Amino acid sequence: MKNVNAVTTTLPALAAVRPTFASVAESELDAVHRYLLFLTGNRAVAEDLTGETFEKAFRSWRRFDPRRGTPRAWLCRIARHVALDHFRSEERRQRREERYAVGVAEVEEPAWGEGALGLGLPELSPAEREVVALRVLLDLDGPTAARLLGISQTACSTRLSRALKRLEEMMSNARV
Amino acid sequence: MPASETVDFEREFEELVRELRELPSEAPPAVRERVRALGEPAPRRVFFPQLTWRRATLVLVPACAVALVAAAAIHGLVSSSKNTNHLAADVARKQPSQPQRELGQKTLGSSGAAQSGGTPTTQVFGALVAPNVRAPAIPTPNPVRHQDYEADLRLRVKDLDTLGQKTAQAMRVTQQLGGYVASLSQSSTAGQPGEADLVLRVPVAHVTDAMVRLSALGTVLEQHVSIVDLENTVQQQRQRIRALRLQIVRITAALQQPGLSADERLRLQFQLDDARRNLSNATGQNKATLREAALSRISLSLTTQSPIAPAKKHHKGFFGRATSSAFDFLAGAGAIAVAGLIIISPLLVLGGLIFWGVRSYRRREAQRLLGTT
Repeated sequence: MKNVNAVTTTLPALAAVRPTFASVAESELDAVHRYLLFLTGNRAVAEDLTGETFEKAFRSWRRFDPRRGTPRAWLCRIARHVALDHFRSEERRQRREERYAVGVAEVEEPAWGEGALGLGLPELSPAEREVVALRVLLDLDGPTAARLLGISQTACSTRLSRALKRLEEMMSNARV
Repeated sequence: MPASETVDFEREFEELVRELRELPSEAPPAVRERVRALGEPAPRRVFFPQLTWRRATLVLVPACAVALVAAAAIHGLVSSSKNTNHLAADVARKQPSQPQRELGQKTLGSSGAAQSGGTPTTQVFGALVAPNVRAPAIPTPNPVRHQDYEADLRLRVKDLDTLGQKTAQAMRVTQQLGGYVASLSQSSTAGQPGEADLVLRVPVAHVTDAMVRLSALGTVLEQHVSIVDLENTVQQQRQRIRALRLQIVRITAALQQPGLSADERLRLQFQLDDARRNLSNATGQNKATLREAALSRISLSLTTQSPIAPAKKHHKGFFGRATSSAFDFLAGAGAIAVAGLIIISPLLVLGGLIFWGVRSYRRREAQRLLGTT
């Protein structure tokens, strides 16, 4: 039987409601941190970049348009730019340091613990971890994730499938 | 597809996905505090509704189109009303009103009055008359003065048969008015327009009547009238004749005096002969002038030449002219837009290439940094 009292609300109408920055930050902080943790593979860096991401989002909050996407996707886009900037500066720093401190390896704390998953995740490339984070942890749909990554939906699906398969293989190898 | 795909990877890697979601990845309290400390950004003062590119395009393009059409409509209305005024002015120029014609005749009259001063005055009335337009008023000579009246009249007749008939009719008219045909030349070659040139001498007293009747023989193509006042010349000639007659009388009287020597008599006789000869010449000149003033000279040309068809004007109504003008305006605006597009298209292409290049470079760099191939 059809429920005549059901209120149907269209997606654009919901999206058009502009939330406050504080509420968005409160609800999306863990998701952004999780994304950056997967992208960088480093807990300390992820914490720094999360703070930086929200500072940047705070400054450009006026430009956020709820009609064009969810706050999560918007924040992830900012986080991605912040992370890429970090990778660039890190690359420059490493190149600079390699000239003076050849052979000195950095000791990093494992981001995901010592388990099979914790050992397998660092073996994935940042791009693979990124797509896993977006699709599995942050529950972004295919088109949104593909748009954020700047690739096609097919490429996004392929990358996700390949990453999960590799991760699964590594985990099974580690368990054996 | 996304939903089924999500279901697919969640089914296929069920255990892995569960483990991934169970990983501890909450933001530490320090980061949370840092973010909370940011607070709420100051609300933006919105003077105008925020327009996206798509919305701006959806609004601006129809607005520009409506504005352009409105401008074209206004231009069409304004220019068509101007055209109406121009047409009216043209008609007024080509067909002078009755008061203007009267004014022309009065001008002639006043020139006649000026001639009474004795100064020879040339009045040339030239008119290139458009076909099918009534001949303008014919200048009339002053009946109390001696004037040399010359007129050139060019008429178009229907065909060669009519040409012959009208030529004969012109000759009859001339004879009826007491004049004569000074010369006649008629040619009618096959394939060529027929021409008849007549030089008619008509008494000045009947020249107006002659001109009216001759003008009625065909369609007036051209009409030139020239009036030269001869009154002063006639008066000078008469004074000279009087002086010569007086001189002859004196010489004759002198010759009749007794006691003249043979030499004096011979000299007086020579003077008398000379005066008589001069008198004869002066009288002849005077007669010629009077004859010239008595008979007008009308050069009549009859032709079968087809009129040069004037450019056919489509006489549209006000709405038609306005629409046509509006379309012309729109076409002009379109031409300007196309020209502008042609000018800026290289810049657009260059800008697009730069944008595409930068985007590709950044994407490749991101792929490199994230370790994708």
